[in-house]
Amino acid sequence: MNLAFGLYLVLNTAAVLLIAPLFVSIIKKVKAWAQGRSGPSVFQTYLTLAKLLKKETVYSSHSSWVMRLTPYVSIAAVLVAALFVPLVFVPEPVGGIGNIILLLYLLALARFFMALAGLDAGSSFGGMGSSREMSISAIIEPTTIIVFAALVFVFKSLNVFDMFAASAAAGAPATPTLILLGISLFIILVVETSRIPVDNPETHLELTMIHEGMILEQSGKNLALMELSAAVKLTLLMALLINLIVPFGLTTTLAIGTIAVATVLFVLKATVLAGIIGLFESSMAKMRFFRLPSLFAMAFFFSTLIIIIEVFA
Amino acid sequence: MIDGLFIISLGIFVLGIFLPLAGAWQDRRIFRAGSHLCTIAGSVLLGAISLFLLLTGNDVTWTAYQPVAGLSLSFTIDRLSAFFLLLISVVSACVALYAAEYNEHLEGGLRRNLLSACTNLFILSMVLVVASANTFSFLVFWELMAGCSFLLVMYDYSRAATRKAGLFYFVMTQLSTLFVLLGIVLLFSQTGSFAMAPTGVSPVSAIAFVALLIGFSIKAGIIPFHKWLPYAHPASPTPISALMSGVMLKIAVYGLLRFLLDVFSPDLWWGILILVMGTATAVLGIIYALKEYDIKAMLAYSSIENTGIIFMGIGLYVIFSSYHLPDLALISLLSALFHALNHALFKSLLFLTAGSVVHATHTRDIERMGGLIHRMPTTAGLFFVGALAIAALPPLNGFASEVLLFISFFSSIAVADPLFKVLLFLCLGLFALTSALSAACFVKAFGSVFLALPRSPESGRSEEVPFLMLLGPALLASACVLLGLFAAQIFHLTGFAVPMPDLFLVGLLLLAMLVLTFAALFFTASRDVRVTGTWGCGTLSQQPAMEYSGHGFSEPIDIIFSTVYRTKMKNERTFFDQKNCIFAEGRAGIQLIKVFEEYLYLPVARASYAAAETVSRFQSGCLDTYLLYVFCAVIAVIVFLGWLA
Repeated sequence: MNLAFGLYLVLNTAAVLLIAPLFVSIIKKVKAWAQGRSGPSVFQTYLTLAKLLKKETVYSSHSSWVMRLTPYVSIAAVLVAALFVPLVFVPEPVGGIGNIILLLYLLALARFFMALAGLDAGSSFGGMGSSREMSISAIIEPTTIIVFAALVFVFKSLNVFDMFAASAAAGAPATPTLILLGISLFIILVVETSRIPVDNPETHLELTMIHEGMILEQSGKNLALMELSAAVKLTLLMALLINLIVPFGLTTTLAIGTIAVATVLFVLKATVLAGIIGLFESSMAKMRFFRLPSLFAMAFFFSTLIIIIEVFA
Repeated sequence: MIDGLFIISLGIFVLGIFLPLAGAWQDRRIFRAGSHLCTIAGSVLLGAISLFLLLTGNDVTWTAYQPVAGLSLSFTIDRLSAFFLLLISVVSACVALYAAEYNEHLEGGLRRNLLSACTNLFILSMVLVVASANTFSFLVFWELMAGCSFLLVMYDYSRAATRKAGLFYFVMTQLSTLFVLLGIVLLFSQTGSFAMAPTGVSPVSAIAFVALLIGFSIKAGIIPFHKWLPYAHPASPTPISALMSGVMLKIAVYGLLRFLLDVFSPDLWWGILILVMGTATAVLGIIYALKEYDIKAMLAYSSIENTGIIFMGIGLYVIFSSYHLPDLALISLLSALFHALNHALFKSLLFLTAGSVVHATHTRDIERMGGLIHRMPTTAGLFFVGALAIAALPPLNGFASEVLLFISFFSSIAVADPLFKVLLFLCLGLFALTSALSAACFVKAFGSVFLALPRSPESGRSEEVPFLMLLGPALLASACVLLGLFAAQIFHLTGFAVPMPDLFLVGLLLLAMLVLTFAALFFTASRDVRVTGTWGCGTLSQQPAMEYSGHGFSEPIDIIFSTVYRTKMKNERTFFDQKNCIFAEGRAGIQLIKVFEEYLYLPVARASYAAAETVSRFQSGCLDTYLLYVFCAVIAVIVFLGWLA
């Protein structure tokens, strides 16, 4: 492991932790504007997290070590996954860090623990959330893997670092295939981060809750960790989309000047993307749960079609 | 020297067979303990030998018995055999540790001595199948393995369900032997020898391949030949379920691989056939597993799924070989082999811990369990490791082998044929679905069995199992963790260059993040903790009936895949008036159809029954008629011989 990579590990993690809550707030702000409200400040998520850290942690008397361990595993898995998706600086991959399959399964690791924690307290809300989350994640999986396979196909590498490097070298404008893949990636982002039309991150109504239902029993610093890991997951999926489709600014050299420019550019691009997500969410209603498989089937056919086009081209 | 050690290890197993038989008139623990000790000693020795052979690449040969030239019981251990011997010995040793305690709690008095003896014979027969140097001894020990496993399934023969399961298993396993025999006879007719030597490409060898594939598929539980697994596994004692699921299914995989590698020169369509069979098995297996509420039947279906994944690897191997892509073929083959080993480890771990749970709660129904994490913490922890491994989560071993399969799928870019690429991508999509559904399945299993409140009084009274019943699974669990963390290093050590991510590094990073988060929160966040009841919208006390049940958990998946389950809902109502307003009476019901049983097994069974009925008319029981048959037969033979001359 060389110095650049070690520096990358520290800086990328710090950067993700620092900016992740911002994008959650921006989406909320855009949604509030779309509804004609002024909405909370864009720094509200930071304040909420700080407040949660000061609160006591409440556990159910029926719960076990699963409940107590889950927030830590969740944030650890998501942070390691975030290392697989460089935000602004792409180093040489070391020891398979950046492997796209491993990235997917690290997210699955976090989800596995979260679903079990949902069942741990014996509350039917938690059970409902876990059951729905595992079902949705199972039926979106074929689409995700096909999109990832298409990425591997296009970039001829299994490693996200190599993909980003190739994409940065080619620069904008992206190829038509990549733009089509970007649409699929956007659908995956919406599903994976539990947003409308799949889930509604704003409410705790039992009709809509999937992700929120699962973490209903979490409190205090544990809840803060869960919220933070959701924010980090959002950021890493956004970074994946941005750095593949609009990679300008992304750098492979370790120089302070270029990295500073890249950081500013990334925050701008991500803010725009967060705005798009907010508008997308505001433009439609949440779908009925059992209508989702047809949405996913559509996404699956769409992404398979891209592959077929790419294969025969 | 090594062959001497190999014979000694076989001798130890034989000692393990005769020790409890010698004490058969005495129902004393010491004989059975001795027998299990023999299993462990034999397995450890065998494991050491096979590890040595695996690392050095030496071969061992030994001819035990040769009645005539060309027909012998002889054995060869090459690297492939050594790998499977290692698998057998690791699992057998851990299962024997568990069985030494578990079998003592079984009912059946003296029959437990027979159980120990027969288990040793079963393991010995599997060892000899894998070590067989020619098709003749392969067949002999294959049949011995089938017979032993039938006896073991029938251990609890006084129960009707066990007898049904045993007979079902017997019919299926004999069918398997029949197809294997057909394949071997066809090969013999082709080459004139029982040696495992290459045959040329010919229609006969293709038929022989199909026969062998069916034979091995029945044994491996490939859909549609899978139905014996969910019957036989719940019926048999836990160590036997673990051995059958963990090891015996892999013997079928070994058989297929041995014939594919050494005997046949596979065609492309063979690979497609194996891949499609494997994919269908994997997806359907896990979908059926999600529906099960009998914990052992659920694990049996999950074994079907995993065998499907192994078959996918083998199918890809054949496909890539026939496209002349040796590197990719090697990765696929390694993924199949590695997954076979990993599945053997985590599935026997899961079966053993599930057996402990059944032992403690006296029920196999997961809806009557719950809350066991507080009463059986160690068992819960071990089952948890198994669940993480089988759900293919990093950095455990299940992920390590599935990632190899993913890599070989992703690399199918190199295959030239475009239509074929599309087929591979579809299989890839289904494989991803399988993998995600298995995570859902084991969240359901762990959640229903161990978490929340106990859903039955027995479950509330359960206690942790004795030490030996924890030690065996604990060894398997640590093997699962180590094989996952050091997977890349193991491949490097054995001399295979695979593009595998370094899971040890990932494990270290995960640990570092965990520790850092914990430290950061410890110093910055509030440390106040309060323990109180679960929030229940104002209800005064929380009841187990309020929890999400296992059925409830898999309900969304049931509905999404209802076409696969072929669930029929009936709703018949009659009304007093014409406008259907005043309800008179009605019946509603949900009918679960066992698709394969009703549309495949029963028609075949009925047809063969009808054929038997027709034939039985000739059996009048009257001596004169039989004399007439004999007379006609003699005349026919004379005429036939005369015509031949």
